[in-house]
Amino acid sequence: MLPICYFFRQITGRYLKYLITSGLLSLIGAPLLQADIRVQDDTGTFLQLSSPANRVISLAPSVTELIFSAGAGNKLVGVVTFSNYPEAATQLPVIGSYNHFDLEKILALKPDLVIGWKSGNDQKAIHHLKALGIPVYLTETRFLEQIPETVKRLGQLMNTRTIADQAALQFNNRLAALKNTYQQQQPVRVFYQVWNRPLITINQQNLISQVIGLCGGQNVFAELDSIAPRIDIEAVLAANPDAIIASGMDKRRPEWLDEWRRWPSLKAVKNNQLHFIPPDHIQRQTLRVLTGAEQMCQQLATTRQHLSDMSGNPISDTAEENR
Amino acid sequence: MALIAARTYKPLPLLLLLIASVASFLLAITSGSLPVSLQELWLILQGNQAGIAYTVVTELRIPRAFSAWLTGAELALAGCLMQVLLRNPLADPYVLGVSGGAATGALLAMMLGAGSALISGSAFAGAMINLMLVFGLSHSKGSWSPTRLLLTGVVTAAGWGAIISFMLSISPDSHLKGMLFWLMGDLSHAGHPGNHIWVLFISLIVSGLLARSLNLMLRGDNQAKALGVPVYSIQITLYIMASLLTASAVTQAGSIGFLGLVIPHILRLTLGSDHRILLPGSVLCGGCLLLLADTFARTILAPQQLPVGVITAFIGVPLFLWVLQKNNRGLV
Repeated sequence: MLPICYFFRQITGRYLKYLITSGLLSLIGAPLLQADIRVQDDTGTFLQLSSPANRVISLAPSVTELIFSAGAGNKLVGVVTFSNYPEAATQLPVIGSYNHFDLEKILALKPDLVIGWKSGNDQKAIHHLKALGIPVYLTETRFLEQIPETVKRLGQLMNTRTIADQAALQFNNRLAALKNTYQQQQPVRVFYQVWNRPLITINQQNLISQVIGLCGGQNVFAELDSIAPRIDIEAVLAANPDAIIASGMDKRRPEWLDEWRRWPSLKAVKNNQLHFIPPDHIQRQTLRVLTGAEQMCQQLATTRQHLSDMSGNPISDTAEENR
Repeated sequence: MALIAARTYKPLPLLLLLIASVASFLLAITSGSLPVSLQELWLILQGNQAGIAYTVVTELRIPRAFSAWLTGAELALAGCLMQVLLRNPLADPYVLGVSGGAATGALLAMMLGAGSALISGSAFAGAMINLMLVFGLSHSKGSWSPTRLLLTGVVTAAGWGAIISFMLSISPDSHLKGMLFWLMGDLSHAGHPGNHIWVLFISLIVSGLLARSLNLMLRGDNQAKALGVPVYSIQITLYIMASLLTASAVTQAGSIGFLGLVIPHILRLTLGSDHRILLPGSVLCGGCLLLLADTFARTILAPQQLPVGVITAFIGVPLFLWVLQKNNRGLV
């Protein structure tokens, strides 16, 4: 019973019909069909490959990273600009930027799989690629838990399941450890600053907001409508967060983070809780996001420590008075 | 009607615009994400320094309100002067490429990762380069005419536009946010206006002294010359003043569009084309409109911010069309 169920799950209606009508069903049988790789991408589209992909093009820096994590870095034949991690990715041929890539160059590389990023890539170009008969897998990460899942699927597509499953398992273990340690701690009110001019933060739909929650923090702008809303300084002063975390542009702590010191009445400034996390560790939707998460959890732990040290006030009270 | 208005000096509309400016200033400093009541405001203005409300009002809202008003005033005055200089109703402060030059300077500084002071300085330098370039090119063969100036300026502006597009297309994403933001124009980081006040003040005085000559120049260069107006030197003065005003505005707040084109027209249609009224009127009306627009931009969806250009257009477009419908007089 069970093998039959499995078998029917493996083939869609279209193929089933084809096989039944042509009478091939009994001839080919299950083993060959199972060799077909069938994976659903984040847009819900099913992708079917007759053999594991060997010439793969990545259309986003984060995708490049995920492919390497899945152990399939050696199958990459083209990447987009800013694919700077791991080191080996910088040696690969560049086919353009994630929002403007060169279709001709992609075709010239003869890929058997293109892996894109749904909300970042130019959708017209993606349609074009599909129309040219190139299989396209689109990623779209909304939850932390999706990241290891994507790695596993990439492992299936490129036949590197052992490494991919291992990486995913490790990620899940680290994630669970962080959750256990921090999620239930006293809440700390956090303002995450993406950029200073314009002043941009994130709402609860953003993955970073989930990281804040994971570390037992509360994003003070969680309730805003847009995913990366522009706000004004006054709003930050009104929210009076316990900690300000910023990422800036590269590995250096942005100078503008210290501009908050103009406002000594801010609790984050008073307690010296202006923290920096490199953008690649937290803004990229890859396995490295846990590196950023570990940093953030430690930073918020110091904030928590400061708050409980201060005149022995319970933290929840100070959080309430600013509401 | 226009002729009567040109002969008698009626300061009443100016008084009304002044009151409107003061009212919008009060609105600007009382509204924002942090609630500040009138009572608190009164205490703050008396110098009561306790609390975060004091810092918000004195360090954020008041400087921003001043900058907004000043930028709007400068743009409207520059637009008014450009329209006289070029004798073209479509002229606005940006038509001769000043904002393009400034934007190129600012974006270049951003690409090199410069701080905000350097970005402003670079923007101003870009505007000055444009000023000299356009002046030199349109002036080189000795013949200077508004048409020649306009064509030189428009083509130079197109050149800047191409450079800007190029810079935008090769810049990494992390820079792009700030760049696009600068191009849209925004006042959220405008500090104390400082020396920019003097640009407006001196320009207003100088253009005020020239107001009668400007009135005569509206009838055409030859008539004005016949009446003893030194047309050529006035044109050069107008060009330099309008460019400086625009450069100052753009340096403070990026390229905020639309105001400089529309405010002078609205005033011409309602108050007539006497420059003794028109020039100070443009200053007050432009300042008032941008201040109101900026206040709405930061409060309508607070704490989310809208680009101020969106609001100026939302207020200005219907206002202008309404005034245009009401008046069957021609433009300029």
